[in-house]
Amino acid sequence: MADIRRYLAQAALYAVFLLPLVYFTHLPTYRHLEPDLAVLKIAIRHAGAIIGECTALTAEETAALPPNMRHAQDCPRERSPLELELLLDGKSLYQATVPPSGLHNDGISSMYRRLEVPAGKHQLLLRMNDDVAAQGYNWQLEESVDLQPAQVMVASFKEGFRLE
Amino acid sequence: MKSLLKRGFNQLDALFSKAFTPQWNPLYQLGGLSFFYFWIVAVTGVYLFIFFETSIGGAYSSIEQISHSQWYLGGVMRSFHRYASAAMGVCVTLHLLREFAMDRYSGPRWFSWVSGIPLLWLLFASAIGGYWLVWDQQAQFIAILTSEWFDWLPIMVDPMASNFLNEAALSDRFFSLLVFLHIGIPLTLLLGMFIHIKRITGARSAPARGLAAGTLLAMLVVSLWRPALSQAPANLDIAVTEVGLDWIFLNPYLLISNWGPGQAWAVLVGFSSVLTILPWLPSRRKKQGPVAVVDPDNCNGCGWCLADCPYEAVSMKEHDYKVGHKQSVVNPDLCVSCGICAGACPSSSPFRHVDELTTGISIPELHIKDLLALTESRLEALSGEGPRIMLYGCDHGSDVQRYQSDRVAAISMPCSALVPPAFVDYVLRKELADGVMISGCCEGDCHHRLGNTWMDQRFSMERMPVLRTRVPRDRVRLRWLGAQGTRQLGREMEQFASELGDESAAESVQVVEVKHG
Repeated sequence: MADIRRYLAQAALYAVFLLPLVYFTHLPTYRHLEPDLAVLKIAIRHAGAIIGECTALTAEETAALPPNMRHAQDCPRERSPLELELLLDGKSLYQATVPPSGLHNDGISSMYRRLEVPAGKHQLLLRMNDDVAAQGYNWQLEESVDLQPAQVMVASFKEGFRLE
Repeated sequence: MKSLLKRGFNQLDALFSKAFTPQWNPLYQLGGLSFFYFWIVAVTGVYLFIFFETSIGGAYSSIEQISHSQWYLGGVMRSFHRYASAAMGVCVTLHLLREFAMDRYSGPRWFSWVSGIPLLWLLFASAIGGYWLVWDQQAQFIAILTSEWFDWLPIMVDPMASNFLNEAALSDRFFSLLVFLHIGIPLTLLLGMFIHIKRITGARSAPARGLAAGTLLAMLVVSLWRPALSQAPANLDIAVTEVGLDWIFLNPYLLISNWGPGQAWAVLVGFSSVLTILPWLPSRRKKQGPVAVVDPDNCNGCGWCLADCPYEAVSMKEHDYKVGHKQSVVNPDLCVSCGICAGACPSSSPFRHVDELTTGISIPELHIKDLLALTESRLEALSGEGPRIMLYGCDHGSDVQRYQSDRVAAISMPCSALVPPAFVDYVLRKELADGVMISGCCEGDCHHRLGNTWMDQRFSMERMPVLRTRVPRDRVRLRWLGAQGTRQLGREMEQFASELGDESAAESVQVVEVKHG
């Protein structure tokens, strides 16, 4: 009789341990995004313009270089950072300067940002400057979008802005 | 907080010991249970991997196929895989809290404590990787937040989150990488678990068989009743709005989601750092005494202290001057001054013909000669009527000092296994006391890991040094009741005294009868 009572107590304690465990492996649900919001992702991977001009080397300068490294011109490597701005219905939602990668700032500029925006119709303006020598924004996309709740819209760049 | 936790554990210990017996008490083998759950997850994982397809379309559908078309095997395996990993998470957390509450994380025990911290990260990473593979809505939620979390680190050149922009951006190769990680990280975890227990003797890396069987049975029932299932399939073109979450392993995502990646890193790394330095933070706990000292004159190189040290702090070397003999050596970095070695030493016998008792190995805090002197002086001071009892106890178990009286001589020490069996023999043979009671931590939960186990074995003549056969067993009691059992110890001592009283009364009647006869 004592054994049966003990086994029943064990069963009860196993239940006390496992039932909350099973429950908490999937419940309660977590609301990650309000139902009236949509998601706008900006993901840009783009190399900015080289800063500066190539300069021609003189004959003496060329001769001073090792034979296998002689070039007619000396070209800078550093690239321009990207100046990015996103406006939704005329209101600035995101603005950033994305530096080039690499120790010598000669790599690609990469960025990613996820923004939660109200679903519905919006006027979207995305603009970017990728050349410090240029004034203002030299790339721009302006479009009217109709975002459904929970819709994911991606703005990327490949020889111009694209919305997917 | 620590004392509150300790009290809570002590109360739970009593409840679980009553239901499971101390040998099966799951709270005494949380580490062993964690290992057991790991093996369940590993075995079921191998089975699931056979059917898993590493592709965007195949990941979700293959898991669904396993869960539904072979629910009786694949589905059960999947449920075991998920619930055992969750149970491991809970056991590991309880293990950490328990070791903290019971003050088993500082001094030479720092290594096990500190090596356990990275294991928490590896355990979470293993579990998260598993959820990711299913590629349902929860996986989508994890994928995006994990990548954004890592992208916050300045080491990332190309944002990892770019891989999850939309359905078009996702690649099959990603699932191959995930499978690789989901096998590699748990293997690293296993290696870490091995290192975690490396420094301790006889580490319990498996639970008692009965507990293991009960655990498997309970998990089978739960798996059949509420099988683990996937949520809706992931679709990166539609954001996850509401998601069923595993609150055991995915709780860091609440931080990332609500506070942002930077603060989540700060909280998680900060918390881990505090845990890591905890053994060296100031504390009100009793300072550890000086480490055990070997007396080469009295060490005969028997190796019993080596066999009994729970921390692998004792080793043997060539004797300093006795040719062909061995001698014990104490590693001060590992010794916790529990005194178990002194209790194991055959030289710790008060019957030895020496002017002053000395021994081969002892702790300076309570040298064996001091223990003898204390025993004799306390027993000689007893003046009450009725049976006299020598009560030995440990500083971590029942509070024996509370029962010091004119009939009871009580001595508390770092570990009850410091008492050599010869002391019990001596006390009874010299009629210094009518009975000897030794108490300590709960069975299976010794503060110094193996003290009460060794005592049980010594007194039942299974381990050297044994309690000699001439010692009347009815005059000796070993009771492992723990700190929560102090009151019960009092009751049992009264009972013991009453039994001893009955016995002496019976003996005196016999004597009277003989005289009249």
